[in-house]
Amino acid sequence: MTEITAISEQPSSTPGTDRDSAGRRLSSRPGSPLPTWGLIATKHLELRKRRGLLVAVIVLTLAAPVLVLGLRLLFHAVDPKSYAPAGSPSIFAILCNLLAEFGFIAAAAVGATAGTTDLTEGVFRHLVVTGRSRVALYLARIPAGLAIVLPLVAVAFAMICLVTSYAGAPPGTSVNFDGVSIPVQLDKTQLETWLLAHPAQAQAALGTGPGPASAGASLVRHQINTLYGDYVAAEPAVLNPAINEMAKIGGWLELEVGVGFVVGLGLGSLLGQRTVTLVLMIALEIIVTPILAGHVIPYFLDGQRIDVGVALDQLRPAGLAGTVGGGGPAGLFGGRGVLAIPPMPTWAMITVVAGWIAGWSVMGAWRMATRDA
Amino acid sequence: MLGLPILILLLVVSGLAVGAVRLSARRRGRPERGQSIRLETTPEVARVADREVLTPADSGRAARLPALPPMSPLQTPAGGWAVETHGLTKRFGPNVAVDDVELLVPRGCAFGYLGPNGAGKTTLIRTLLGLTHADGGTMSLLGIGVPAERSKALGRVGAIVDEPRFYGHLTGRENLRVLAAARGGGAGLRIGSALTRVRLADRADDKVASYSMGMRQRLGVAACLLADPELLILDEPMNGLDPAGMHEMREMIRAFVAEGRTVMLSSHLLDEVERTCDAVAIVDRGRVVRQGSIDDLVRGRGTVVQVDCSDPAGAARLIDASTIAAEMTIGDGSLTLTLAPAATREVVAEINRRIVDGGISVYGLGEVRTTLEDWFLSVTTRLGDTP
Repeated sequence: MTEITAISEQPSSTPGTDRDSAGRRLSSRPGSPLPTWGLIATKHLELRKRRGLLVAVIVLTLAAPVLVLGLRLLFHAVDPKSYAPAGSPSIFAILCNLLAEFGFIAAAAVGATAGTTDLTEGVFRHLVVTGRSRVALYLARIPAGLAIVLPLVAVAFAMICLVTSYAGAPPGTSVNFDGVSIPVQLDKTQLETWLLAHPAQAQAALGTGPGPASAGASLVRHQINTLYGDYVAAEPAVLNPAINEMAKIGGWLELEVGVGFVVGLGLGSLLGQRTVTLVLMIALEIIVTPILAGHVIPYFLDGQRIDVGVALDQLRPAGLAGTVGGGGPAGLFGGRGVLAIPPMPTWAMITVVAGWIAGWSVMGAWRMATRDA
Repeated sequence: MLGLPILILLLVVSGLAVGAVRLSARRRGRPERGQSIRLETTPEVARVADREVLTPADSGRAARLPALPPMSPLQTPAGGWAVETHGLTKRFGPNVAVDDVELLVPRGCAFGYLGPNGAGKTTLIRTLLGLTHADGGTMSLLGIGVPAERSKALGRVGAIVDEPRFYGHLTGRENLRVLAAARGGGAGLRIGSALTRVRLADRADDKVASYSMGMRQRLGVAACLLADPELLILDEPMNGLDPAGMHEMREMIRAFVAEGRTVMLSSHLLDEVERTCDAVAIVDRGRVVRQGSIDDLVRGRGTVVQVDCSDPAGAARLIDASTIAAEMTIGDGSLTLTLAPAATREVVAEINRRIVDGGISVYGLGEVRTTLEDWFLSVTTRLGDTP
């Protein structure tokens, strides 16, 4: 015979009463579309306890910096004459760009998982019959997932910054600029002054050849914006990024993975299939975006710019953009972009990124709210 | 240059969002602005009178039912029925899964929603719980209209739909934490007691992936208890359970009823429903064909008496010549009589007297108990007697 024990810990004595023995209200407005802290925390728990997913995300975000920097530190410690110090501006840029690519994919994987597993594991209906707003269930996934990917990317980036700053080669003192050595860390006015004071180097930099000094000075003043842009692009190759530049790069990296997560979540919720979502997200990141960013497609320029990857590429800070080529005016993070297409205004970049975040969130929440559970 | 396409994109996204919200509201029966929904008794309720309807006073298992005031089927009890539907309809394309269902489940009893596979039992439950939208009709849980006040109603309802499924990589306790967080309020405080009650406390910290089917069913019941529910809706709760597990589940359901909760369960296991429930509704091809207390429904077929005797044909003639009203079937060495439902034991004794007085030897005489299964098969169309 089954032993039936009373629920002694339950705060209410009458079934269905929403007040505890002290008369305090226990209900927390389950119909509200705003997620509670408890919802977010338990969704985070559910995602964090997926060992396979977590290992994959850690590998994608941390493996490259740990391996590359670890080996370089080791080699340099063992044989400092043959091996350069672990940190360098170019290694910094390469690792950050790798982190951006892999971080986006890792975030998309977490987003796709967060958006689909309630359905595929049959728990969605249990959650729905609690009476909790489906929109709240969806919105809880956003901070829960971001709380996994953003810290991992931050740790990886911090590691890169620390090695670059404290175990790096001494910074260069000059930039090799079209065969001309120019001192580093000049602002635009200082660069103009330096070029006017060194007409021979200025003419070499401009590629005009020997001529009257007055003509060279006029050309320098006329093209100083272009010259300064090229100078800034060349500078990161010899100079570790300053603290404020590192902060910009870190912010951009977090934006990149944040967008990857939100889009993956929205697409996953819309499709309800994790694998398909992940394949589409990887295709977007490594096939579609490079094509749209690297080629001018006739009469499709605005279409190319609507790709969030293109907008994010143009937002790429100068410390990273300079190492992968490209040109164009400074973006939000002071970057020059890596695009082969003409740049878009900053407001347009922000609109595209915000549109992708909002659009996919709305579509994901709508599908979740209307889906049969 | 770029402004125009972005503006168009934003307009399209906004338009989609607004359209989606309106479509969602329409599909889920939510009132749009300026549109009202009647949650009160509608004229359709009159159709209930055409059916057998259980009221608490009707129940033949008074000892198992809590004392509730008698009421007319058309009179809504104080606080409303546990479950009430009128004209509820759900279609999947041309297939009508739930067809104009009128259902009244009284409070404080175990109510079986009985039907063969594919009859629409799970679909009705999914519709009641807002897991899928209804195509027509009205419904309420615990007197609260759904879907209009779905969140409020479900706050007092615990439910298992289909088989209970959980995150396999989380422990039982963690799964309950997830569901308690979704419920909010004091649900989190009930996790420990719910696990104890379903006798899972010692396995609560094991991953659900290692649980047996029976343990998952019990965890599902524990999840229901997080709501401290007035109404439990269990979809095929005996599925996959061994005899001991079925017994345990049955005891648990009866204990819930004894506490004043209402349990509505769907099943195709007639014997289990008969043992567990006070009342049933029989559903066939999406329609509720009968509902009422089990005793009343089964007794409605009449009292069947079988007489083993030396001359069944002679016995039949003797009964026919008497004033006893009965349908008779002559078998090989026996006579089967179907008496009126209200027939008393004295009538059975009179049958015996008549046959013995007529010089026929009686070897055995007894009442044949009609089971729910007999009755179920007689009213459903699975035997092919009705198109």
